[in-house]
Amino acid sequence: MTMAQNPTEPARDAESARNAGQSPGNERPPAPVADARGQQPAAPAPLTTTPDSAVLLKWLRDMMLIREFEVRSMQAYQNKLAGGFLHVYNGQEAVAVGCIGATQHHDPIVTAYRDHGHALARGMDPKVGMAELFGRIGGCAKGKGGSMHFFDANNHMYGGHGIVGAQTPLGAGLAFATKYRDEVIDERANDAVSLCFLGDGAINQGAFHEALNLAELLDLPVIFIIENNGYSMGTATARGTAGASDLRKKAVGYDMAACRIDGMDVLSVWRSMKPLVDWCRSESRPALVDMQCYRFKGHSMSDPRKYRTHDEEKHWEAEDPIGRLARQLVSAGAVSQDELKVMGKAVRSEIREAVDWAKASPEPPIEELYHDVYTDVWGPYTGTSLPEFMRRRASDREQR
Amino acid sequence: MSIEITMPRLSDTMERGTIIKWHVAEGDEVTAGDVLADVETDKATMEMQSFDDGVVAGIKVPEGQAVDVGTVCAILSEDDDAAAGDQTQPTAAEPAQPAPAPETTPSHVEVIEAAAVRTSAGGSGRPDLRITPVARRLAEAHGVDPATLQGTGPSGRITKKDVLAAAETTQEVAAAVPPSAAPADAVPVESPALAPIEQPGVPSTPVSAGGQLALHDDDRREPVSGMRQTIARRLVQSKQEIPHYQVAMSFDMDALVELRSRLNSELAEYEVKLSMNDLIVRACALAMARNPLMNASWDTDAIVYHNRVHMGVAVALPEERGGGLVVPVIHDADRRSLRSISAQTRALAAKARDRGLSPEDMEGATFTVSNLGMFGVDDFTAIINPPNSAILAVGATLQKPVVRDGELAVGWVMKATLSNDHRVVDGATAARWLNTLKELIEHPSAILV
Amino acid sequence: MTRAIEFRDALREAMSDEMRRDKRVFLLGEEVAQYDGAYKVSRGMLEEFGPRRIVDTPISESGFSGMAIGAAMMGLRPIVEFMSWSFSLVAADPILNNAPKMLYMSGGQLGVPIVFRGNDGAGGQLGSTHSWCVESLYANVPGLKMIIPSTPHDAKGLLTAAIRDDNPVFCLESERMLSLTGDVPEASYEIPIGEAVIRRPGSDCTIVSFGRPVHFCLEAAEALVAEGIECEVIDGRSIKPLDINTIAESVRRTNYCVVVDQSWSFASVGSEVAAEVHRVCFDDLDNHVHRVHSDDVPAPYAHNLEQEMLPNARKICEAVRACTYNA
Repeated sequence: MTMAQNPTEPARDAESARNAGQSPGNERPPAPVADARGQQPAAPAPLTTTPDSAVLLKWLRDMMLIREFEVRSMQAYQNKLAGGFLHVYNGQEAVAVGCIGATQHHDPIVTAYRDHGHALARGMDPKVGMAELFGRIGGCAKGKGGSMHFFDANNHMYGGHGIVGAQTPLGAGLAFATKYRDEVIDERANDAVSLCFLGDGAINQGAFHEALNLAELLDLPVIFIIENNGYSMGTATARGTAGASDLRKKAVGYDMAACRIDGMDVLSVWRSMKPLVDWCRSESRPALVDMQCYRFKGHSMSDPRKYRTHDEEKHWEAEDPIGRLARQLVSAGAVSQDELKVMGKAVRSEIREAVDWAKASPEPPIEELYHDVYTDVWGPYTGTSLPEFMRRRASDREQR
Repeated sequence: MSIEITMPRLSDTMERGTIIKWHVAEGDEVTAGDVLADVETDKATMEMQSFDDGVVAGIKVPEGQAVDVGTVCAILSEDDDAAAGDQTQPTAAEPAQPAPAPETTPSHVEVIEAAAVRTSAGGSGRPDLRITPVARRLAEAHGVDPATLQGTGPSGRITKKDVLAAAETTQEVAAAVPPSAAPADAVPVESPALAPIEQPGVPSTPVSAGGQLALHDDDRREPVSGMRQTIARRLVQSKQEIPHYQVAMSFDMDALVELRSRLNSELAEYEVKLSMNDLIVRACALAMARNPLMNASWDTDAIVYHNRVHMGVAVALPEERGGGLVVPVIHDADRRSLRSISAQTRALAAKARDRGLSPEDMEGATFTVSNLGMFGVDDFTAIINPPNSAILAVGATLQKPVVRDGELAVGWVMKATLSNDHRVVDGATAARWLNTLKELIEHPSAILV
Repeated sequence: MTRAIEFRDALREAMSDEMRRDKRVFLLGEEVAQYDGAYKVSRGMLEEFGPRRIVDTPISESGFSGMAIGAAMMGLRPIVEFMSWSFSLVAADPILNNAPKMLYMSGGQLGVPIVFRGNDGAGGQLGSTHSWCVESLYANVPGLKMIIPSTPHDAKGLLTAAIRDDNPVFCLESERMLSLTGDVPEASYEIPIGEAVIRRPGSDCTIVSFGRPVHFCLEAAEALVAEGIECEVIDGRSIKPLDINTIAESVRRTNYCVVVDQSWSFASVGSEVAAEVHRVCFDDLDNHVHRVHSDDVPAPYAHNLEQEMLPNARKICEAVRACTYNA
């Protein structure tokens, strides 16, 4: 019996606990291991190739579109057009665009509440995104989800989820479903990879660890992408997470492949994510990514960012993924400054149209309150359980 | 093109903000993302940033001043380059969208108000009466007045059992209102076979000096039936609320006695057997039709004149069945033939004795006839049966000395007393009605047609 | 053809029938596969359907519940077995925050056709952490349906309906009823969710109950015959949606209503039924609705205390007498 295993004699410190755990004095026989692999696979090496400049220009435009969407979101929030909580994605655009650029359109993605960027990168029309922020019927969730709950089933975007870490088991479930669909129902090889985005704050939730455990146990093709922007809300990662120096370590205990990526450079993101996505798809295995990035704005709109310095912010703003890619493209001669200006104007114009469209979209009719609670329109809300005002409206409609 | 920079909402709860420090001055060039000012909110000191490129054309709010969210703090004029192709309307100047009035609010208010109305309506009843909802409903259906019941539930709560027990002992009560006196045929020999009648409303219980009931050892205390309670309550109410007065008159009955006798013998084979009461009811109905001012009811701030004449006929119930009385109603008695009135009265009396009257049998009387002639009573007064305005108390038809053409003779005489509600019927009106009745009874051909 | 089988067999038949019918249906949970089911509900299913469709999970309710919900969002139709609903509390976020709200939050885009099922209520001297009656806690949440069968026949029919339902359905079973035997048709059939049934007709008092306590109600009803009280026993079968119409129709005839609910009384299924009966049948009541619940204490271990804490026939008889003024 070692110290670490004796609850009445707690280990003095982490070091002694580790030593005790490895003590040869522990004579218990090894537990039976169901999965004999027992090793953490190495993540595939990053690519060195570069996509066509047309692809790079599209990524640039996508990132600019996300940035402009977020700027106008903030403005709308300050003008009270948008309510609730607003968490903007400024600075992290390369993560969503690069990761999603490495997937196929049918690969499901799911994320947390800082979700505008992922939805737009996946192809959501900014009009329906903006209308959702404004709480209008034209919104992607008919105004019933809001900023934190963007959904776009046609683009295989399975949400925006408001509870930190809650989307990680869901991400495992998306992978379970595609694998089951392909292998059990259609009886063919697995053909999808799910991307599950999460913040560094989510890794201390139990759900995250349960999801990693299940994903590895069940060989689920899912990539958990920790968008490690350094802060869990206002708490620096190291203040909330043990072992924060290298989040890849979180995968070690689950024998899960892991890698670290520079999330401020879309090309780096793609070069690492592309082979990883391909590997997960072909091997039907999960992986974990420590995606290093920086959140230019506060956690939410009411965050004064007193926990970090202006110097720090200036340092990271110099790493702005949009400017970085633009400079690369200009220096490579793929685009001119004038063309960039034209692109900027087009993006501003597109988002302005989205704002105008969202403003023109009506508020949801009051019937929407009771729609979509159950799949059948009124669900169990019939007869007496339907509130009086809804009964009146229901009967009015029947009469019409 | 100029853009208005408004006080931003910098937290979900912020309503006002104070400009702590301006980081720009008029004439400064700014680009989107530049910090324009520090703003103190309810939560913290935050940055006001520019969303657009431009030149500061004016500062509208000095440092240290608190303004509402949405207030214009500065004006930015866009440089031409930025303005070209960017027709962004000054979104900052967009008036803050008024919080949409939730449509559900009026509905909720409506519901609450409706509930309040219902509550107060319900509360206008008897606050001291504790009765379960179903008992209240059953009492109404069975014509049992809950106020007369002693509840057996907790704290005297009247329950379904209490109401059903009361309804069982007084099946006939229902919605009908008991009259002041029970009818009988004026001619004892041929009166309908009705059981003896008791007159309600006359207290016979010994009452002590203090008004307290003195109970002696040999007294028998018997709980009153629901019907008896109804009779008691309604007649007390009638006596207390209605300013009664009486008008009496004697009738020469020779012609009517002769007519009845002739009709009964001539029509015997058609099973026609008219009672004196049938003839009197018919005569009263015709008198009502000819004096519509009598066919009326008091209704607090109005008098209701009834277009139709429905005659209530007090019927006594056999004592072996608990006694009491009911008032079946002959509807549209002025338009019915004698034969119809007779048959209807007979049928209702039989029904009352056998299995009880239904509420419809007892609804809607506009006048009541009560007849105690069968007991040899030659003269009495009756209590009005609300909402009637009058009731006729009919005495026995007796042979008496009469003066006819200056000669003393023996004739059939009946005395009847009309009780009136003075709120509705004045003395002269009552007298006119009695004279009409006298005309009809003493010259009864009109009764026949 | 109908034959007598155990409650657990009826549950398995529903699941197996549906898994044969629809490849999107699969079962996951602790000990469902290799162990053949912690309570033998899934006995033999691994053999028939293999490990891809009968999925053993680690003891990780939050993880595997969330995973199943994610799979359901993609169109699969998972059946999640909780060994005990008591253990579902660590999965509260996925089962309450995700499953019932996903359709709404996505504006109708993504439903969650899933069944959560397992043992609910006191298993017998398991102490408080393992004796949860979750119905009142969970039925409060919009977007989910909840069934609580009390017979093998209903178990098969309701679970079949639940698996075919496009909404999240919580199926509450009882360890104490798994061995209960009853007549069950061999063929597949559905009992519509949201339809109560009159287990015993009677004219004097309506007793409404759900799940295992229905049997205590029937016991009490038989005992009360000797006192001249004929009770009508209604088995709600579904808690959400609640079949208030069947209950109201009965109360309008009897004028008395006793609700028997094995969860705690505060803000419970029982208080909901009582409130609805008072609202719908106000003018038909001769007394307020009386309620029998588990006592408002944590479930004790000692046998006698546990028996006293749970609804039982004696408590139900007392409530009926009090309600009908026969106390």
